Amino acid sequence: MSIEILLNEFKTVAENPAKQLADFKAAGKKVIGVLPYYAPEELVYAAGMVPMGIWGSNTKTISMAKEYCATFYCTIAQLALEMLLDGTMDQLDGVITPTICDTLRPMSQNFRVALSHKLPVIFLAHPQNRFADYGLKFTMDQYGNVRKELEKIAGKEMTNEDIQNAIRVYNASRAARRKFVKLASDHCDVITATKRSAVLKASWFMLKDEYTEKLEALNAELEKLPVCDWKGTKVVTSGIVCDNPKLLAIFEENNIAIAADDVAQETRAFRVDAPENADAMMSLALQFAAQDYEVLLYDKFSSQNRRGEFVANLVKESGAQGLVLFMQQFCDPEEMEYPSLKKALDDAGVAHIKLGVDQQMRDFGQARTAIQAFGDVLEMRK
Amino acid sequence: MKDIYTLGIDVGSTASKCVMLKNGTEIVAKSLIGVGAGTSGPQRAIDEVLAAAGKTKEEMDYILATGYGRNSLLEIADKQMSELSCHARGAYFLFPEVHTVIDIGGQDVKVLHIDQGMMTNFQMNDKCAAGTGRFLDVMARVLEVKVSDLAELGAKSTKEVGISSTCTVFAESEVISQLAMATDKCDIINGIHRSVASRVVGLARRVGVQDQVVMTGGVAQNTGIVHALEEELGHTVHTSPLTQYNGALGAALFGWEKCSREQ
Repeated sequence: MSIEILLNEFKTVAENPAKQLADFKAAGKKVIGVLPYYAPEELVYAAGMVPMGIWGSNTKTISMAKEYCATFYCTIAQLALEMLLDGTMDQLDGVITPTICDTLRPMSQNFRVALSHKLPVIFLAHPQNRFADYGLKFTMDQYGNVRKELEKIAGKEMTNEDIQNAIRVYNASRAARRKFVKLASDHCDVITATKRSAVLKASWFMLKDEYTEKLEALNAELEKLPVCDWKGTKVVTSGIVCDNPKLLAIFEENNIAIAADDVAQETRAFRVDAPENADAMMSLALQFAAQDYEVLLYDKFSSQNRRGEFVANLVKESGAQGLVLFMQQFCDPEEMEYPSLKKALDDAGVAHIKLGVDQQMRDFGQARTAIQAFGDVLEMRK
Repeated sequence: MKDIYTLGIDVGSTASKCVMLKNGTEIVAKSLIGVGAGTSGPQRAIDEVLAAAGKTKEEMDYILATGYGRNSLLEIADKQMSELSCHARGAYFLFPEVHTVIDIGGQDVKVLHIDQGMMTNFQMNDKCAAGTGRFLDVMARVLEVKVSDLAELGAKSTKEVGISSTCTVFAESEVISQLAMATDKCDIINGIHRSVASRVVGLARRVGVQDQVVMTGGVAQNTGIVHALEEELGHTVHTSPLTQYNGALGAALFGWEKCSREQ
């Protein structure tokens, strides 16, 4: 299948999650909504159901969710609730609400209060002390609760083998996405910023085995192409979500390609595989324990600014000239991390800009000016 | 050798400015219309500058658009560039020793770091209107004075009045409260100037302030703001009579450089 056809298929999926949901339901499948971050989607898959990521919306307006949310909650969380309230996602059979950030924690209770008459709301608390035995045990306990709730919805128990199989499917998918990110940089003339985003975003709305098959086909086609001689500039993107096509089109207008990303919805979500382990639940716990360089997670070496240096190195190693940070308003963890990140970038001589964004932005005039000017700065530094 | 004429058009949010350059050194004509993007302002500014120079659009060797409304001129202009790059270029032309440019426009604030004429770093305000020209428009309306009179009135202040630097809406409410308490308008205006300066300096320090500091944009005509900035920064702030035309000047200069390279 041609690259163009495959890219269009990913774009169609990325732009129409509601249709995906309707199609899954029409096929008789049960579908579970999965909120950010690090929910063990593998358990949903292992239960024979479809996990669908919920990362807000670029087209909806917050209205009904205002009844439940403080105004400073990020629009990702508010729009997720909005879509669960306004009927957009009424066909879901359940929703998993992780609580790893200060907004998602209270929001998990808002979801429960607002939605429990509609669908099961599955609470998930990850531990910050995730490395030691007691941390792994806590993660396994929590995942065990999620497993039981999912089994109730599925109407059947999942076996250790079911979960091990799901882990294999997901590890393969993560590997394919990591490979795609590299190929997208090598072929950024073909995989523009909007197309790259659509390919990665589609992963949240498809069954992973089907998604991976399609992505591996795309990767194979890309590998046949010569590495492009890119005359423009390259950046690394960072933030929670960078999936607004209108915003990403500004990159294309200014010949700015994305070399790699440090985005929660993108690479941060598939950086770490689950190890092979006889106990599949332990595999998932070990995978969460291995998450690193993450804004939201405890780092016992945080005084060394490892994450900041990791991101600065990512820019250098990916061949990018700078970093564009999409600062989700008003995300406390990302805002509070910024001084450390800025210091690491400055120390490493990596140019960057910080753009305040939220999912209700409809006018990108200021972002257009900043991105264009940043492109000029990077061009001069080349 | 044939003379090269380039036209820079800066379509801002509140005004449209044009500068016509001859051979990248001589300002042949300039124009300013007090309405910007989405209005008749850009076309009127172009018509005016061409008429003043006795030239036609076809006689322009290069036309470069900049400013918030730059994309609306794609049919007229050969190229569009961000106003940050153009302000950097314009300021370097007017002040060859410049290292820091503070541009307060109608709806945003930019601080640029310049190294040998090249913009190497910059900061823009977030979506909040505090510290922008719009902030001053709102305050002038509440105070029932003209924006152009703010500097003169603020200079007559005898008492310090604190105005919030964080939010235009809250600051407006504070000004109304001060008026209700019969606080002298001049003192309130001086407080507003310091409020703007405080906001802008916070942004400037993120970039790093290095002499010469040059202020561009329409707000630079307000000496009250300039003096407040000097106090807050601890640096002399230079301005030019061409301050409002600085972005258009930079655009015309980039146009000339483009033509020179092609020749």
